[in-house]
Amino acid sequence: MEPLLETQDLTVRFGGVVAVEDVSLTVPPGEIRGIIGPNGAGKSTLFNALSGVVKAEGRINFDGRDIADVPVHRRAGLGLRRTFQHVRLMQNRTALENVLVGMHLEIPANPLKSVLNLGGGVSPDRAARDRAREVMSFLGIDGLILRETGTLTIAQQRLLELARALAPGPKLLMLDEPCAGLSVPAVQTLDEILLRLKEEWKLTILLVEHVVSLVIDVSDSITVLDKGRVIAEGAGDEVMSNPAVKQAYLGTEEVDAA
Amino acid sequence: MEIHRLFTNRLFTPALFVALCLVSTATNPYLQYLLNLILVYVVVAVGQMIILGFAGQFAFANAAFMGIGAYTVALLGSHFGISYWVSLPAAGVLCAIVGCIVGLPALRLRRVYLGLMTMGFAELCYWLFLHWRDLTLGTDGVKVEAPTFFGIRLDTDDAAFFVIVIATFAMVLLAKAILASRYGRAFIAIRENELVARCNGINVPLYKTLAFTLSGFYAGIGGGLFALAVRFVAPDTFNLLQVVLHFAIVMVGGVGTLSGALLGALFLTMLPEVLRGTQAAQEMMYGVLLVGVIVFMPKGVAGYLIERRILPPEVLVHGWREEVRERDGIPQADAKPSTAE
Ligand SMILES: Nc1ncnc2c1ncn2[C@@H]1O[C@H](COP(=O)(O)OP(=O)(O)OP(=O)(O)O)[C@@H](O)[C@H]1O
Ligand SMILES: [Mg+2]
Repeated sequence: MEPLLETQDLTVRFGGVVAVEDVSLTVPPGEIRGIIGPNGAGKSTLFNALSGVVKAEGRINFDGRDIADVPVHRRAGLGLRRTFQHVRLMQNRTALENVLVGMHLEIPANPLKSVLNLGGGVSPDRAARDRAREVMSFLGIDGLILRETGTLTIAQQRLLELARALAPGPKLLMLDEPCAGLSVPAVQTLDEILLRLKEEWKLTILLVEHVVSLVIDVSDSITVLDKGRVIAEGAGDEVMSNPAVKQAYLGTEEVDAA
Repeated sequence: MEIHRLFTNRLFTPALFVALCLVSTATNPYLQYLLNLILVYVVVAVGQMIILGFAGQFAFANAAFMGIGAYTVALLGSHFGISYWVSLPAAGVLCAIVGCIVGLPALRLRRVYLGLMTMGFAELCYWLFLHWRDLTLGTDGVKVEAPTFFGIRLDTDDAAFFVIVIATFAMVLLAKAILASRYGRAFIAIRENELVARCNGINVPLYKTLAFTLSGFYAGIGGGLFALAVRFVAPDTFNLLQVVLHFAIVMVGGVGTLSGALLGALFLTMLPEVLRGTQAAQEMMYGVLLVGVIVFMPKGVAGYLIERRILPPEVLVHGWREEVRERDGIPQADAKPSTAE
């Protein structure tokens, strides 16, 4: 099958630091790909390169086209959506407004329609609102739809950020440490959500996460990064027993198997 | 009944319109002039609010756009005899274009630098109003021709009121519709975090330019209405104090709220009339007021009233009240974080 995402020798430099080096990934559609590695391995930078917010050398093929020169907002339009390691929501705005920001491109650009509502009886944001509610109820947070974001718990904010990424119906979802700051039951909830996204939505997901148990549980395959390079790739247990992987984690951080 | 429901009632806007018209029949000339000026400043304030309060761009060219709008109307009338009904929209369109152009360098400038650049632009315009005597007549100023409506000359404050009140209502309702749409949400998203905005498919340079264009349009129309309200346009109106005034209106009113533009315009237009002091005294009062509001009402008067549930919350989604009807709650600024999960 045609891969949905394929990178070739992707490299990101910050001055002298090479944060991502010659990373070649091939992700088939419908797969959940876990991406793990110690702190500073370049996981977030890889996401930044894929979403286009940092400059990268090398090729990125997404959904049958070369997107290396496509600007960030167009990549989002092609179906590349992400969350952030530190939740980035509009704090003083309602959950609904945050989700609708994610649906910017789904709402007609024509101001006669989206602003003045000419030629349509229902309100211009109606379809987007329905979709937002649908996605939020899938995630179990529809009760928060009109709550101000700043008043939500970190777990709710993580789910809200996920709702913003899911609402436009992405082809590829990139999750950067979605469990950071979550309690054990909240991690369990997320585990179930990810499995449902795979089964019911057939969504392709790149999952960066330090909670290795979750990664192993939901991922079809795992890529391990260390110092910007891919040091191992394959099925979960296979990768975790790889000596190079053990070496990379040794002395840097415990592999959280809880 | 909660007070904020009063404002969300369907009849509120028409009732306010009728009330203002009734008030206007009972005013003396001075109060009528003041009422006109307040309405004009509402339109001008919306311009500054869009760019500063919503899109979060530290742009202070609004006073200049207002001046260009006022001069456009005054000069097209006095030099070319062009009717107010043509020159008013022309002022809006011209200022929209100028706003768009001023916005272009802003795509590469941030915060303080953008502030300095736009303030420089405001100073430049003031200088041109003052010294381009062939066009603007310099300090002599330009008299504004009264518009005629089916042969009736609208040369009194009472007559001007009807033009101004209709235009102001139309402009505010339009702003409300724009801000509640994907456009307003894009502005806010850019203000909050440009990187997140881009990752959500928002073309940041385009929407910044759009915000500049819109704010130019509002300030231009506001300036054109100002010309009608004061009937005499002179350079000194558009000096640095005007720049500070627009900034103060947004800060005092409440950043990122449309009602803040309305309240800010109301308070700061009335303030000098109440103070009746020298310019120095007024500048000091603005300073005191700004500091006072920032300390005691960090979200401005509108933000304060919204938190106290006196004004309705402003959610930038068309028809979001339908969601409220389906649910019970309304967005609560003071809601406690849920203990669930
Ligand atoms: N904008 C930047 N400028 C300079 N260096 C950067 C920048 N972003 C990341 N780096 C560097 O690139 C390297 C990889 O960082 P990155 O954030 O991608 O790691 P990570 O795998 O996401 O780590 P963590 O698990 O802590 O999130 C680090 O050495 C970091 O200091
Ligand atoms: Mg990271």
